[in-house]
Amino acid sequence: MNQQINPESSHSIIQVQELRKDFGYLQALSGVSFNLNKGEFLTIFGPNGAGKTTLIKILTGLMRPTSGSANIDGFDALEGNAMLRSRIGVISHATCLYPNLTALENLLFYAKLYGLDDPEERANESISTAGLQLRRYDPIRTFSRGMQQRVAIARATLHDPSVLFLDEPFTGLDLQATSDLKDRLRSLHTGKRTILMTTHDISCGLEMCDRVAIQSRGKFSLFESVDCIDQSNFKNLYTKSLEQ
Amino acid sequence: MSRYFSQVMTIIWKDFITEIKTRELFSSMFIFALLVVIIFIFSINLSLIKATEVGPGVLWVAFLFAGTIGLNRSFMLEKENGCLQGLLLAPMDRTALYFGKLVSNFVFLLIMEVFTLPLFMVFFNIDLLPHLLPLLYVIFVGTLGFCAVGTLLSSLSANLKTRDIMLPILMYPIIIPIIIGSVRMTGQVLAGEPLSSMMNWVSLTLCFDIIYIAISIMVIDFVLEE
Repeated sequence: MNQQINPESSHSIIQVQELRKDFGYLQALSGVSFNLNKGEFLTIFGPNGAGKTTLIKILTGLMRPTSGSANIDGFDALEGNAMLRSRIGVISHATCLYPNLTALENLLFYAKLYGLDDPEERANESISTAGLQLRRYDPIRTFSRGMQQRVAIARATLHDPSVLFLDEPFTGLDLQATSDLKDRLRSLHTGKRTILMTTHDISCGLEMCDRVAIQSRGKFSLFESVDCIDQSNFKNLYTKSLEQ
Repeated sequence: MSRYFSQVMTIIWKDFITEIKTRELFSSMFIFALLVVIIFIFSINLSLIKATEVGPGVLWVAFLFAGTIGLNRSFMLEKENGCLQGLLLAPMDRTALYFGKLVSNFVFLLIMEVFTLPLFMVFFNIDLLPHLLPLLYVIFVGTLGFCAVGTLLSSLSANLKTRDIMLPILMYPIIIPIIIGSVRMTGQVLAGEPLSSMMNWVSLTLCFDIIYIAISIMVIDFVLEE
């Protein structure tokens, strides 16, 4: 049940049309289409191998699709140009942090790469927002998984991106770290920021999103507003969607 | 242009800070180069063969093998915690990433080579001091070409499971012209000949340096793509 794109939709910050990706004989994406409006939070559920990470990699310009088109914030996502990359942030289970550098050095490094004004101040601000100011001079390798994820969020949001991609951000986090991450995501989900998240955690995913999608065998079998689904029965809906 | 230069410098800054903290690259490369020189000194009878004839080959074998360790490690560090993905998501031209890594690798290798030279001088009983400037020039030019190819191929092999094996297999055949040129020039320098008498080798090595850097700039986008 793929949502049809209305190319004229002026509110859509993400427009994806018939996105396909083949790895040899394996079809990772088989015609994904959807629109996401500015400020919306989309959660994509799906089993391992459904193509969720592939979809995010294509939308962030890390991978070229076999066919289809994607437009993010007015830029062709498939060209992977620098202007688009300055408008998006990506958080995944890989933190993209250098283990031997301190938290502050990591953020300073990325702030300089992104060409931010006064990178020292931005790095310090971000680390304070992450609640890690007392650990700013400690190497990342000494941080717990939850603390590393907080620094990873600070890294991904240093440049105040308008679109945030989250690829299974709860992986490997304990209950407290998961709760902290949810709080942080809520604070990031302001009206202007669009968020696309993939996760296996149904309760976390449903709790925060405006729209929900189920991806199975490379395409969306469901794409709905979260208000239009019965959240208490979502597990059954999910199982049925996978069986279709 | 200043932003591009700043991004290149940022990558170099990050590599240097990491190396200063860990000393992984320098120590592993230097110890390996030292071992190669020591093994050769015990396997060659210098009373039968002139040190200046066999020395250049030994020196470049040591540089080549030790440098391969460094180049292999260079992009492996970027793969830890998915850091390479973080770099690719940054709004910068991928050639900036290539040049940043190239300069870092080049400087690390040069430092290792400068530390290896005195030991080579002692073990082979060759007085390098009268030929130091032309020798440093040869090392500079040879190492540049080696790093230009090595940086590109280490970024390619970083995504492979067999990256430790693949880098030398891919790299050594390609850098043969540079290594031959460097060994020949080193031999002639140690024999006391001026650089002007070996312009054919100098030109050949420089041409390959330029060609390899140009090719790397052209293909780095495709190499780094998943």
